[in-house]
Amino acid sequence: MRIQHGAALSLLAISALVIAACGGPAAAPSATVSATASATQAASPSAAGVAKATPGQSVKMMLLPKFLGILPFTQANKGATEAEAELKNGTTHAFVGPTADNSVQGQIEFMTNASTQGYKVVMISNNAGDQIAPAAQAAQAAGVKIVAWDSPIPSAKGESLFVAQVDFNETGKVMADMAINLMGAGGGKFAILSASPDAANQNAWIKALNDALKDPKYAKLQLVDTVYGNDQSEKSYTQAQALVAKYPDLKVIMAPTTVGIAAAAKAMQDGKLCDKVKVSGLGLPSEMVSYTLNGCAPQFALWSFVDLGYLTYYASYLLATGAIKGADGEQFEAGRMGTFKITKDPTRSDGLRVLMGPFKLYDKNNVEAEAK
Amino acid sequence: MVRRIRPEQVRELTLLFILVAAVAFFATQIPGYVSGRTFTDISTGLEVIAVVAVGQTLVVLTRNIDLSVGSVVGLVAYFVGTLLANEPGLAPAVPVAIAIALGSALGAINGTIVAYGRVPAVVTTLGTLAIYRVALVELSGAKTVTTDSLPAWLLDLPRSSLVSLGDLDIRSLVVVAVAVVIAFQLLLYYAPYGRRLFAIGSNPDAARVAGLPLQRDVFVAFVLSGALAGLGGFLFLVRFGNITVVAGQGLELQVVAAVVVGGVNIFGGSGSMVGALLGAALINLLQQSLLRWPAANPFVQDAILGLLILLAVASDKVVLERLRTTWVRARRRDDERATASAAKQVTPGA
Amino acid sequence: MRQRARQSRSPLAPELFRRLRSWEGLLLGVLAVIVVVTAAAVPGYLHPQNQINLLELSIEKAIVALALSFVIVSGEIDLSIASVMGLAAVLVAWLRQQGVPVEVGIVAALAAGTLCGLFNGYWVAIVGLPSLAVTLAGLIGYRGVALLLVEDRSIGGFPDWFNRLGQQPLVGPFPLALIVFAALVVIATVLLQFSGFGRYVYVVGSSREVARFSGVRVPRVKMAVFAMSGLTAAFAGVLLAARLGAVRGSTAEGFELDIITMVLLGGVSIFGGSGSMAGVILSILVILNLRNGLALANATGNTQAGVIGALLILSVLVPNLIAAARARAVRSARVEAGRRSLPSAK
Repeated sequence: MRIQHGAALSLLAISALVIAACGGPAAAPSATVSATASATQAASPSAAGVAKATPGQSVKMMLLPKFLGILPFTQANKGATEAEAELKNGTTHAFVGPTADNSVQGQIEFMTNASTQGYKVVMISNNAGDQIAPAAQAAQAAGVKIVAWDSPIPSAKGESLFVAQVDFNETGKVMADMAINLMGAGGGKFAILSASPDAANQNAWIKALNDALKDPKYAKLQLVDTVYGNDQSEKSYTQAQALVAKYPDLKVIMAPTTVGIAAAAKAMQDGKLCDKVKVSGLGLPSEMVSYTLNGCAPQFALWSFVDLGYLTYYASYLLATGAIKGADGEQFEAGRMGTFKITKDPTRSDGLRVLMGPFKLYDKNNVEAEAK
Repeated sequence: MVRRIRPEQVRELTLLFILVAAVAFFATQIPGYVSGRTFTDISTGLEVIAVVAVGQTLVVLTRNIDLSVGSVVGLVAYFVGTLLANEPGLAPAVPVAIAIALGSALGAINGTIVAYGRVPAVVTTLGTLAIYRVALVELSGAKTVTTDSLPAWLLDLPRSSLVSLGDLDIRSLVVVAVAVVIAFQLLLYYAPYGRRLFAIGSNPDAARVAGLPLQRDVFVAFVLSGALAGLGGFLFLVRFGNITVVAGQGLELQVVAAVVVGGVNIFGGSGSMVGALLGAALINLLQQSLLRWPAANPFVQDAILGLLILLAVASDKVVLERLRTTWVRARRRDDERATASAAKQVTPGA
Repeated sequence: MRQRARQSRSPLAPELFRRLRSWEGLLLGVLAVIVVVTAAAVPGYLHPQNQINLLELSIEKAIVALALSFVIVSGEIDLSIASVMGLAAVLVAWLRQQGVPVEVGIVAALAAGTLCGLFNGYWVAIVGLPSLAVTLAGLIGYRGVALLLVEDRSIGGFPDWFNRLGQQPLVGPFPLALIVFAALVVIATVLLQFSGFGRYVYVVGSSREVARFSGVRVPRVKMAVFAMSGLTAAFAGVLLAARLGAVRGSTAEGFELDIITMVLLGGVSIFGGSGSMAGVILSILVILNLRNGLALANATGNTQAGVIGALLILSVLVPNLIAAARARAVRSARVEAGRRSLPSAK
């Protein structure tokens, strides 16, 4: 049985190493959190009714994107890190997330473990739709603040606050405007290439676009189809090709997703179709610069994910330190970005919202500078 | 006459017939379906999957399976893309060579564990599917490979055509993919290594007894599968330009499906590269045509694909097995007759 | 080969039993280390609520692993389990949307799961197709049917009692799924280890020929294990729907990696014919605790997936290497003994 002993040791060593490697840095701060957080409950709502953050408190926070490994979420983390430095939070926030193929189950696991780990705030870009709600409600009951950003919990159950990048209704108008700009006054047919069929933000934007189209201003715009590329280049590419084949007189493909817009632009470029079909939607300048300059995607829009992360961090810090309660009408100051107000979310039946905005439109004049 | 046709060829002809029938059917359903553009779209959609399916065929012939190819394609595409972004001056041959080398290395890991560690291929490659993907996420640091950082020759590559008639293009990369299929088809039927793969897959125990280098041949099959997935990764980079951490996710299912539908026996021992190519073509044709067919529910795709795999495997078992036995029997009878008549001819002279 | 030869020289059953016991001992050791290290490194890990959380988060996978063990012991594989889970979850929600009461929907989902299992079983056991190919078709196809039903929608709005069963503790701090799991553990252990059916499953897995000659109806046993696998997966899918409170087409996607790992790490041979329920249960505990430990230590999803992937390979590779090393040791010992015996003979 000597050899089995050796095997046992090697398996033990592996598992011990893995746990120790990850457990080391995280274990230290978690012990200090609860004491400091409770000592600072009386942070100040200032005279003007605009809450200001008291820097230097220790709040354990988790930034939980849909999954790790794509640029927008890393930019948001950059913004959160910037805010963290300004607020001198004694506890460095964790930037963790599931793998793309295990996004839903993974987010639920992180959410469930958060209270055990002593987190005071989970900042989540929700990819699980309402499937996250039970876990979020349980975390909330255990005293964790749930701040959604980028993509909310549709029913708002278990959500303390949603930091919206832009007004979801405005997104519809912005997309309709871009479509008109690209097609000219004559209008024409266009189609939507979305990400996954169940992303709350995507669906809200598509709905907003449909609502916006009722405006007589956009009467000549005809939305013919909505297809899904699941935020994968290959699937989005194929879908874009198919749209052109299905609707020979299609003039614009509108993709409110950074992966989809780039893939669609590539498909049009490879198909030598850029003169006929223009691509637009929401895209990252660094990914779109070549298509904007060569005319495949002359105009698109986005907001700053860095700012979104920054604002989300401020709102979460204020919420966790008690400076704001998370109630309708409260105002707070978020560092370099100025003052924000919490309101009822007009784009959902329930829930509170902090609106960041505005959209930034990109075209050949400014895209290169932004891409850097 | 019929006896000259091998059972594999029956399968290939059947697939070809189904392909033609499918095109004819969709032509009646989808306005403007029969066009140069449709051909261009569907043929270019085959580039990556055909090359990877060739490697998969080699592995399946030996009674194994390589589920890690999706992650290999993604990892290689990302690695080479990053390399080219940093060193745009590299001669085109260099990134191709690096892609193949990196793919081979990943394939060698699979091959070592399967052939020498005697861990079943399903287990090994299900594990490395996850591990290679993790490596990609860690390597990327969330940076996307973007088209504007890639050299111009690479961006122009997918648009370059060998033949161009109006909308109908025969793109260079499609030609590359078909060339790979033909090269490996020749290897399979004329190189000793290819023949040995059939022997190993038909009866591993007999192959071992016969003194074939079983472990080494299986190992090499995995290395080749990795190498071709590496090449597939390069083609993926060329085709999509934007490479994120999800690149190639789920490709392994498509490739295995193509191979199985193409008549490569999952029990090992029979199949061909041309069959795999036809299988890939059929799947790709169905998927793309369903997207273009207004009457079709776009969500019906996966259900049909599952059914297709089952039908392919079942027909392989039920129909082809019977065909094969009759074929062998007929051949034997022919041979006997031939030897008998030869003997008759020989005797008078003697 | 060499190892098998050695085994046949010693009485088979005790040797097998000793080997199984030692693999389980190994798992127990690993589990102990994980528990001790995590408890020391991460505060809150030992808290009862966390222990319940860690079980609850993967309880559906654990339940399916119990049934999959039967399939793998019988020498087959079922890759379609996660898709059957998703299909069952979707069916309950979709039927409710069509106005069918949830109670009826649950029965329909369980029936559908059993049908999926029987369908797999038919092609494998009666027609004789490889289970890898059949259930791969199932993996894609059953998911396809689920997508066809709900398309791009997420369906929630289950009745309160259904959500409560999935999300609230039922007895003391334990939710329904945990209690069910405990019951299934007992049933599965008795069925595999102590019943005639279990013995048949082992015999079928060790050798189809031997099974046939000893009068075991191989197709019937295989049909039964696939039906069990489908039914259990569907049941787990319904539990998952209750825990999540909403379903969509992708529910339970990709779960097969974890579930297969649970079974193989438990010492069940992928070639069939050996393994024990105790091993599977221990390996479930190892994986869940390891995952929880990693998550509490802020490991990303990538690290967790990588660790599970590595465990999957190691769970087969390590025993193989041990066997090879032991064979080599025996060989060199024999050579050594032979050499020593030479001079004395002189």
